[in-house]
Amino acid sequence: MEHPLRENELLQTRRQLFGRASLGIGTAAMAQLFRSELGAAEPDPKDDLKGGIHHVAKAKRVIYLFMSGGPSQHDMWDYKPKMKELAGQDLPAEIRDGQRITGMTSGQATLPIAPSKYKFNKYDNHDQGVWVSELLPYTAKVAKELCVVHSTFTEAINHDPAITYIQTGSEVPGRPSLGAWLSYGLGSMNENLPGYVVMHAHSKYAEQSLFARLWGTGFLPSNHQGVLLRSTGDPVLYLSNPTGVSRDDRRAQLDALTALNQAQHAKFAHPEILSRIEQHEMAYRMQASVPELVDFSQETEETLRLYGDDVRTPGTFAACCLNARRLAERGVRNIQIFHRGWDAHNNLPAEHESQCKDIDQGCAALIQDLRRLGLLDDTLVVWGGEFGRTAYCQGGLTADNYGRDHHPRCFTVWMAGGGIKPGITYGRSDDLGYNIADADGNPLRPQPNKDKWTPGTMHVHDLNATMLHLLGIDHTKLTYRYQGRDFRLTDVHGHVLHDLIA
Amino acid sequence: MQNKISHSTGTAQTALIQTGARTRAFGQRKVRGSAILSGILWLLAGFGNWGTLPIACASPDGASKVSFAREVLPILSNKCFVCHGPDAEEGALRLDSLEGATADLGGYHAVVPVDPALRKSPDSELLKRIHDVDDPMPPADASVKLTEAEREILSQWIEQGGEYKRHWAFIPPQKVLPASLRDVPVNELPLSNLPEKVIDGFVKEKLATRQLQLAPPAEREVLARRAAFTLIGLPPEPEQLSAFLSDTSAEAFPKYVDQLLASPRYGEHQARYWLDAVRYGDTHGLHLDNRRGIYPYRDWVVFALNNNLPWDDFITWQLAGDLLPEPSLEQVVATGYVRMNPSTAEGGVIPAEFQAKNNFDRTETLGTVFLGLTLSCARCHTHKYDPIVHAEYYQLFAFFNSTQESPLDGNSYAYAPVVKAPSDIHGWQQWAELQKQRAEVVNRSKSQLEKLKAELDKALSELPSSPVDRQEDLLTELQKPVAELQTELNKANEMQQNFATTLVAAELEQPRTTQLLLRGEYDQATGEPLQPDVPVAIGTFPADAPRNRLGLAHWLTARENPLVTRVLVNRLWQQVFGYGLVRTPEDFGLQGEQPTHPELLDWLAVELQDNSWDVKDLLRAMVLSETFQQSSAWRSDIDDPENRLYARGPSYRLDAEVLRDTGLWASGLLDPRMGGEGVKPYQPDGMWEALAHPASNTKQYQRDSGDKLYRRSIYVYWKRTSPHPMMMLFDAPSREASCVGRSRTSTSLQSLGLLNETMRVEMSRKLAERLIEAAADDGARIDLIFKWLACRSPSEQERQVSQELLDAMRSRYAQAPQDAAALLATGEAPAKPELDPIQVAAWTQLTSTLLASDLAIMLY
Repeated sequence: MEHPLRENELLQTRRQLFGRASLGIGTAAMAQLFRSELGAAEPDPKDDLKGGIHHVAKAKRVIYLFMSGGPSQHDMWDYKPKMKELAGQDLPAEIRDGQRITGMTSGQATLPIAPSKYKFNKYDNHDQGVWVSELLPYTAKVAKELCVVHSTFTEAINHDPAITYIQTGSEVPGRPSLGAWLSYGLGSMNENLPGYVVMHAHSKYAEQSLFARLWGTGFLPSNHQGVLLRSTGDPVLYLSNPTGVSRDDRRAQLDALTALNQAQHAKFAHPEILSRIEQHEMAYRMQASVPELVDFSQETEETLRLYGDDVRTPGTFAACCLNARRLAERGVRNIQIFHRGWDAHNNLPAEHESQCKDIDQGCAALIQDLRRLGLLDDTLVVWGGEFGRTAYCQGGLTADNYGRDHHPRCFTVWMAGGGIKPGITYGRSDDLGYNIADADGNPLRPQPNKDKWTPGTMHVHDLNATMLHLLGIDHTKLTYRYQGRDFRLTDVHGHVLHDLIA
Repeated sequence: MQNKISHSTGTAQTALIQTGARTRAFGQRKVRGSAILSGILWLLAGFGNWGTLPIACASPDGASKVSFAREVLPILSNKCFVCHGPDAEEGALRLDSLEGATADLGGYHAVVPVDPALRKSPDSELLKRIHDVDDPMPPADASVKLTEAEREILSQWIEQGGEYKRHWAFIPPQKVLPASLRDVPVNELPLSNLPEKVIDGFVKEKLATRQLQLAPPAEREVLARRAAFTLIGLPPEPEQLSAFLSDTSAEAFPKYVDQLLASPRYGEHQARYWLDAVRYGDTHGLHLDNRRGIYPYRDWVVFALNNNLPWDDFITWQLAGDLLPEPSLEQVVATGYVRMNPSTAEGGVIPAEFQAKNNFDRTETLGTVFLGLTLSCARCHTHKYDPIVHAEYYQLFAFFNSTQESPLDGNSYAYAPVVKAPSDIHGWQQWAELQKQRAEVVNRSKSQLEKLKAELDKALSELPSSPVDRQEDLLTELQKPVAELQTELNKANEMQQNFATTLVAAELEQPRTTQLLLRGEYDQATGEPLQPDVPVAIGTFPADAPRNRLGLAHWLTARENPLVTRVLVNRLWQQVFGYGLVRTPEDFGLQGEQPTHPELLDWLAVELQDNSWDVKDLLRAMVLSETFQQSSAWRSDIDDPENRLYARGPSYRLDAEVLRDTGLWASGLLDPRMGGEGVKPYQPDGMWEALAHPASNTKQYQRDSGDKLYRRSIYVYWKRTSPHPMMMLFDAPSREASCVGRSRTSTSLQSLGLLNETMRVEMSRKLAERLIEAAADDGARIDLIFKWLACRSPSEQERQVSQELLDAMRSRYAQAPQDAAALLATGEAPAKPELDPIQVAAWTQLTSTLLASDLAIMLY
């Protein structure tokens, strides 16, 4: 080409057309073109870093199973036989240690200790074994794949701030979501599917709100927002042609559209016109690739049985898990499933039994399925909520029924695959599952700052830093300049938990 | 003053300690007294009061002089201030002021300004360290490094005298004319179009330094379309377009622009930008995200912009209308601005926490919207880059901390305090007229009553000589003005029956105490109570102003305020040209970009004030400039993809709202009704349910029907946790936080939306019907649609492409009439039975394609 500008223009187009190497196809080239002055240089996933941008990635993709509402660690993962002895007694002041508690229980005359009514069994892993409650019989069977972190913590004590915090790094709205950061950093490995997909799984107790900000882009270019993969209507918004318009009709329309846009380009030479021509073509391809994606008819009976009967009903957690595996297989790097209904203030047993039934088999099947397809090694699976639940009872305590309030100071999250050490537990809590504790059971009271991390603990920023690390991203370097500041997901915090990494 | 300044003692600044542990500490400045003292010294010396320091000197060897403001300060801010900026450890080296930079560090100094006679400065520690390979600054493991060019600039700067200046944006703007006008005698300056000449003067001046010129003017059709989209967000009406195109006089374009500015569509379009900035939404935004009564505020913004309310009032009313003497309803409703923060009533939340969070949000939004400053840093510690001390953040915060509303919204629509206000824009107009009439009646009645009273007094004093019937006459007469007054009152009462609830600000009788919050934590209040005040570095609170929101508004609109008009003018420029003169509209601080045309920005900023804050005039000038009227075609002779030189006209993909409105307009569906409760057009099922709390009253999306489907997009209901998906697809912000510049992305999902969404299909088929009815044959119809969407005729190629698609679709639907019927059943508006469905379906495919094409969705 005779002129550097034309050259540049074509380069932009080529980037759009053929992607940047085999990874990271056209994440935000246009946004870059238009607001590049505001952002840091577009991250560039590299083949020799296995799709990472700062160091060699251990995981190429992430599947985040998010339990919205705050699942009870006491009834699922954090076995505390001592609580049985103390059942009904008031929470000792030295355990609470000035912890602020929500307005829902701060007015209670007592904070009676509520042991779990569920039986726990110890399952072999690659370490000392892990206790899992009877609510999770399937997940327990994949214990050898799991890294169960008993010492996760946050500062927020209410849902909206807490979920916004763990998903965006800030308690107040306005920041990009974890998923948007990953989309910005990692791009996509499949040019026919979106790079960041979000699913909402059904729950009988769909309490607590979700917010578009949890997969939104804040100040990042808005093409990094999560694309909803839905179980009713179009799987992707506006995917289907209008009734009465066939695929051939659309082809004819797009051919005309391309010709018209090229005419416009001939006149004005705006490079974004060329980019848009390509986006229209990608949309056309997506119209074929997405229905194929959500069509389980080619899955074997064995696979379907692995996920359980629920998988045959679109929108169930199990069906979302199978979708997640199919997305992972097709090179989608960034997959989130939100499952609501974990906010068990009053009737925890009834609610959690139903909730666990929703997710248990799907979680286990996903891990097994990824494993047997050879995908688990480079797919990071994360399970957890925005906080845990209290050791003490909210409302009336009986042998069969109890409730638990929000508890930020110590809760359980598990991870698997993607470079995580399999079959270990990490961190521990005191005898009441209230405080993060050292090996002797003494409270640790971590006060994280950017320089200090307390071994044995995992702040929500640490979780995010570790996830990014596994994906080949240095959480301190994935930044975007906005309002004069290089923002990042972990703000000025976060420590990579190398102890968890294989 | 003593209260005002104090430094964070929190954990914010540890970077230096970190550095110090590994390397020789860079400048442990001797402690010069208390933190308070050092703060005062810094503010007075550093950014507070300095212009240029006397030690500044001309370059001795004639080398080009580096600019502190443009070249040096950005390097210091970006690479050094993290450790050596406003929030540096006490006693540590500070490079944000000359006083700090030249301080005695224990026998040596970071910066030793060169004595012109000596010419060399061997003693500047800063120079040694930035060149030191073994022990460099920034340290080897720092996340930022200096480039060779930056080291060179710093060296030159010190060798040229180490001059310090205040950051450009903190010095009040001055009017300086471009060179082309500077020597013109004042009485010969063009009066009517001086602003246009100034814009073009500065743009051309910069182009000339690169031997460049403006691009040729855009074709008139293109210009007509561009001006209309810029000012009213819609294409011009066909008659208006024809009138403009057939008028070849010099006055044609100004006349056309004036018509656009006078259109009621103007306010609707311009208000969108404002609503993004102030984060307007129809729901509370957090947790349940319930409905909020606030749309009368949105309508007031449209109404005020259409009436061209001067922007000093526009600002003052929004911040403090309630504090004005005997405030009008308009002034009170405007304070909805203060109430725009997202709010919650989540079970168990702690009120004190949200008292703080709500005010963080207001304080920081004030920073973004009016000051172009990131204040959020200073919430937890003294700002790293900008001269905002931790305590000063809370002094700004204090302005908002004494409003009456509860910190929790109670999930209530009428989250008090509220008032009742007109429920649409027509209502605002009626209200304004009624107020006018009422004032007249009151005045008239008052004088009548006074006259009658005097007569009656006289009559009474003359009793019993005064005739009884005269007294009775007087009493009867008295009743007339009273009745008239009563009628007016009744009218008002009647109107108020239909008023809607809207959130407003009201002040507590006793202000709340504000203290500094350590690390921004609501339960860590510390220190003396803080008086409301403004940051020293950017101004002084007016002596005679009250220490409340009204005083804050006085300061914002004061002549001396260095930021407000620059920030506003920059955003108006961005609306017109696609980008601001400052490319970081949200940041005018040290980390923000320098303006591409600083004198131009300043001239316009002062002009806005000189010209009574008249925004329509300012927009008119921008649109009438040659700069705006250039062709937008990319130039092969310039490599300037971001158009920083303004060597071509603006071009960009139009916003979500404009795309929708244009389709509605072209199809004839657009319902012109203005204002009222947010409308709910088509939206895929289940989108709200999938997210919402079961107790939320915005869980179910109940789609409207009839005309409400076709209202302008500014009136579409805005649920902040789940805005309309077509808005989100096309880069609209969620309105949970302030947005002063949308991203403009291009994605495949947009393609799906453009071609498949119900509203798009419905508008396409109504447009098809309209074309079929408006013209007799394909050729004439194709002409028409190009006229409507592109303001021009199609090229031969475009005509051919259109015709081919049409022919193909016609034969395709002729073979499958059931498909045509299915297509025409999309959307609520019934198909016209008298038209041939095959014909309409084929045309629908073409109109849908054209509505999605870049000739319709781009500004060019």
